[in-house]
Amino acid sequence: MKLLVIEDEKALSDSICDYLGNESFMCETAYDFNTAMEKTALYDYACIILDITLPGGSGLEILKELKKENKADGVLIISARNSLDDKVYGLKAGADDYLTKPFHLPELGARVASIIRRKSFGGMNIVQFDALILNLADKTVSANNIFIDLTRKEYELLLYFISNKNKVISKSAIAEYLWGDNMDLADNYDFIYTHIKNLRKKIMQNGCPDYIVSVYGMGYKLIIPLIK
Amino acid sequence: MKLLAKYNRINLICTVVIFLLACIAFSFLLRYVLINQVDEDLKIEQNEIISYTQKYQRLPEIVKVHDQQTEYTSIENPFALQKPAFTTSKLYNNYEQEDELIRTLTFQIKAGSQWWLISVAKSLEGTDHLIQLIIIITTITLLLMLAATFLINRFVLQKLWRPFYNTLESINNFKLGSSEQLGFTSTDINEFSMLNSALQQSLTKAAQDYILLKEFTENASHELQTPLAVIRSKLDLLIQDEHLTAQQSESLQASYNAVQKLSRMNHSLLLLTKIENRQFTETTELNLKRLIEEKLNLFKELWINKNITVTTALNDAFIMLHVSLADVLLNNLISNAIKHNTDGGKINIDLKQGQLTISNTGNTASLNTALLFTRFYKAGFTSENNGLGLSIVKQICEVSACSIDYGFENALHIFKLKWQFKNE
Repeated sequence: MKLLVIEDEKALSDSICDYLGNESFMCETAYDFNTAMEKTALYDYACIILDITLPGGSGLEILKELKKENKADGVLIISARNSLDDKVYGLKAGADDYLTKPFHLPELGARVASIIRRKSFGGMNIVQFDALILNLADKTVSANNIFIDLTRKEYELLLYFISNKNKVISKSAIAEYLWGDNMDLADNYDFIYTHIKNLRKKIMQNGCPDYIVSVYGMGYKLIIPLIK
Repeated sequence: MKLLAKYNRINLICTVVIFLLACIAFSFLLRYVLINQVDEDLKIEQNEIISYTQKYQRLPEIVKVHDQQTEYTSIENPFALQKPAFTTSKLYNNYEQEDELIRTLTFQIKAGSQWWLISVAKSLEGTDHLIQLIIIITTITLLLMLAATFLINRFVLQKLWRPFYNTLESINNFKLGSSEQLGFTSTDINEFSMLNSALQQSLTKAAQDYILLKEFTENASHELQTPLAVIRSKLDLLIQDEHLTAQQSESLQASYNAVQKLSRMNHSLLLLTKIENRQFTETTELNLKRLIEEKLNLFKELWINKNITVTTALNDAFIMLHVSLADVLLNNLISNAIKHNTDGGKINIDLKQGQLTISNTGNTASLNTALLFTRFYKAGFTSENNGLGLSIVKQICEVSACSIDYGFENALHIFKLKWQFKNE
């Protein structure tokens, strides 16, 4: 599967590719309008990450062209402009999602994963991670055929981790994901610790290994432990 | 004091003083002239007596005249070199039964061999009446003139100063940053039209500068977003490294926090600019009760973590507001109440139609109300706080016809949001 990052800021573009690219995802970049138009015309991508302001033209033009050609590529707009109007306009033009800069890479990862699930797997409602099975339609989690009773936030958090599996997610990224960015949360992240502790406990109570590991106190990571 | 009143006062005082002085001078002058006239009459009488005496060597018969009395007194010897003299004296008039002023001319004359002292007197009563009458007429005329001047001044001046008051009203209604064009009513008075054009010029300049400044803030904030995104993404990548030392992780964590603060501040500044630019004009009727319940649910972990007791008394209340602004408003007010609270503290939220009251316990005594809603005001205890939250709240209130008040009672910080809701 291929991703295309259309972003003129090379440093940001490279970060995104570094983070999202892995064995199963090939990440390509386009730094300007013309290259982007060329690539989108030639190839199909599972998801296109699109900046609006580009040298040589507007990202919205690329979006319109894609829609005209009836391409099925998922589109995630990343823009420095944070306003409801821009968002509504972008989504109306056919984008699947909209993310405002500056964002956390895990947030981008989660959004891209969600778009790919919807687009490439025909709106598949089941996400599996090791023994955990998440039903996206019902927002339920089960392991070994037993439902795990999670709160809404714990469920969201688990899905967030699964969308960014094997990646360290910083506490501030988690806080922003769960509590939004309008709030100054920075005084401490203790409450995240409590939250994650509860989630781990609930998963382990159902006979699963401890998937979530703490990394240096900076953040957390979801992995399948090597030794059972 | 109004210019008009001040002018009228000065004008009135001057006129009255001049008028009084004129009255006094006028009455003296009039008296002088009239007495002169009487004196002339007396002299004519004297001449008649003298010429009669010279012709016939005797004094003429005294003729009784109503307003004139002549008296002859024989004297032994003439007083040395006595000249004819005029005197004014008061005499009781039997006929009119009152004191009256009379003017007397006394002179000496020799009729035959006999010296006579002759006094001719004339009543001044008629003169007095004349003077009185003239003064009354003058006073009335002057008073009328005074009243007329006063009224004319009042109306004319008011009319003349009308453009000035119009200008004043325009300036009062002018608000920097509002899209309304400043319009002065034109006037044919040079001074006022000069004032208007000078004001127009400087206010237009101020408005332009203000727009430029706002654009600068907005552009600067936008331009900052991309570098911030780069830093953040690089940090997100850096922590993926499995070989970080504890020290490196600490530095990374500090950088994370700093970037977080920076992007939040930037976000807040951008939001402020947008609110000021009135980019949130679409209002919808919002159910505040539902929104507050959602927010409390969202922040649940935060207050539970701080052992804060939240008491609510929520009644249905509706407000016309932009969805995003309502979200920011509640976010800031409620998160402030949590953030600035003590461990084990309290939060009370009362909602009724037209009024939302959020009160919380806190570490500090009453906050400085004058500075509380200004930008970058910090009560001095948390540096984590960018000091923009409440100024955003204030700004939202300003564009949405709400009001926010702060009070400190019974060790509680109380924020009161009030709004008018018209049920159509």
